[in-house]
Amino acid sequence: MIQFLQQMINGLSIGSVYALMAVGYSLVYSIMNFSNFAHGGIIMLGAYFGFFFLTLFNWPFAVAFLGAAICAAALAVLVERVAYKPLRMRNAPFLYFIISAMGASMFIENFVIATIGPTFKTYPAVFSREPFRLGPLFIGRLDTMMFVISAICLAALIYFIDFTKMGKAIQATAFNPRASALMGINTDLIVITVFAIGGFLAGIAGVLFGMKYTVYPQIGFITIKSFIAAVFGGLGSLPGAVIGSVILGILETLISGYFSSQFRDLISFSLLIIILVFRPIGLMGKSTEEKA
Amino acid sequence: MLKVENLHVYYGGIHALKGIDISVEKGEIVTIIGANGAGKSTLLNTISGLVRSREGRIIFKGSLLRPVPHHIVMKGICQVPEGRLVFANLTVKDNLLLGAYLRKDKKGIKKDLEKVYELFPRLAERQKQLAGTLSGGEQQMLAMGRGLMSDPELMLLDEPSLGLAPILVDTIFAVIQDIKKIGKTILLVEQNAYKALSTADRAYVLEQGKIVKAGKAADLIEDPTIQESYLGQKAEAGDRKSEVGF
Ligand SMILES: Nc1ncnc2c1ncn2[C@@H]1O[C@H](COP(=O)(O)OP(=O)(O)OP(=O)(O)O)[C@@H](O)[C@H]1O
Ligand SMILES: [Mg+2]
Repeated sequence: MIQFLQQMINGLSIGSVYALMAVGYSLVYSIMNFSNFAHGGIIMLGAYFGFFFLTLFNWPFAVAFLGAAICAAALAVLVERVAYKPLRMRNAPFLYFIISAMGASMFIENFVIATIGPTFKTYPAVFSREPFRLGPLFIGRLDTMMFVISAICLAALIYFIDFTKMGKAIQATAFNPRASALMGINTDLIVITVFAIGGFLAGIAGVLFGMKYTVYPQIGFITIKSFIAAVFGGLGSLPGAVIGSVILGILETLISGYFSSQFRDLISFSLLIIILVFRPIGLMGKSTEEKA
Repeated sequence: MLKVENLHVYYGGIHALKGIDISVEKGEIVTIIGANGAGKSTLLNTISGLVRSREGRIIFKGSLLRPVPHHIVMKGICQVPEGRLVFANLTVKDNLLLGAYLRKDKKGIKKDLEKVYELFPRLAERQKQLAGTLSGGEQQMLAMGRGLMSDPELMLLDEPSLGLAPILVDTIFAVIQDIKKIGKTILLVEQNAYKALSTADRAYVLEQGKIVKAGKAADLIEDPTIQESYLGQKAEAGDRKSEVGF
């Protein structure tokens, strides 16, 4: 029982960071109807930014953290401008977007390998590895921070989307870009906003993962997990992305805890295939219909 | 107020509008009638900036319109699109507020919201409901209300009566008259030629991307060729009631 609770806590912490990444996929998908595979690259860059801000510039942790998020947001917007905007302007079929996304993703990864190098980098210890003790449970400081920061970001995001004018405009554009243009909504600005938000959260997730594990050019591969979570929850749905991520995080830690971590990825990918076969729209996928 | 000159629009190789000239004066209801595929929606979408023209000019209140949708809304032109396109995932009230997206005057928005609820009491009752759960007629009212929320000078209405029961069609056309009375200018595209001609001041007939006839609506409704091609199954002139149950 104690072990189970312990695993749940770890799973919740991992799952909440998956959620930070998954909402980025979902937001872009909801507006542009394609999966932005360059998202993983942005997460990796966020991890590197945080690392260099801490080690080269010796910035205080909070500043480095925020700086990494802002840089990641700017780069996500840059990728949109360079790789997707020209396609949007030509109303290109969605396959072109996917190919462009893969190209951008490979470019980012190889750019980092060529300039920074393929080696692993370890974040400096920002705070002690000594876990909190809660009765018989050990709760890692880093895990706690991952959960708290992710939860705050996600709550802020959901507030923004559900209760602000800009958030409503994003929802309207997700539903029908033409109609929202007719309302005077600048849909290009909506796209920029969505990429900036997704990039910002990706930067945060990158730093958190960098601290938990290490930083290397393929760290963006972790986003495949968050992508699975986003599909599981229902692409295009924010609550879906969050719930899917938390479930996946918990499932993974339980599996590595009770069986072995060898099985972990096997199970996540099987989950993806099962969802795609039996419920392609996911738990809460968008299935809004218009009445004639 | 609005002047369209020699407008040519292509979709790839399809020449959809072949040199359109029309004008709309302040306070008028002008209708464009035409069969399926004549190019009516294309014309409205070009005015709204959703579709680019290859040739020609669109002048609104004396200045050239830049083909950017949100600039055009800002200038005072709004379109109520064919098929309504309400935001089904948002509430009725949110839909209406999105209509006022570019406005900053909170008081004016509030006043206009009340005006829209007065015009469409149905919407007031359903403020908190998701727009996707409304009936077709209610969605049309919502689309028109949403358009009014931008406080436009010129409203472009694309087939507002499409797919509605006859009694609702009457309501919609009565509302169009009401909208004119509150000082809006209207460019109305319709397939229901009889209704459109009885409501409008002036009319144009669009056939295969060309204006083939223009004149006072009252004259066109008596025109034998128009009667033959567009008023064949002359609709019953139901008397207008301003509010009917659905
Ligand atoms: N996006 C598009 N791509 C290619 N052709 C188009 C497109 N939209 C319209 N067309 C063509 O342009 C012509 C005019 O279409 P448009 O929609 O303007 O007609 P309409 O008069 O509004 O018809 P309806 O009464 O059916 O709404 C048609 O031949 C149509 O097939
Ligand atoms: Mg049409």
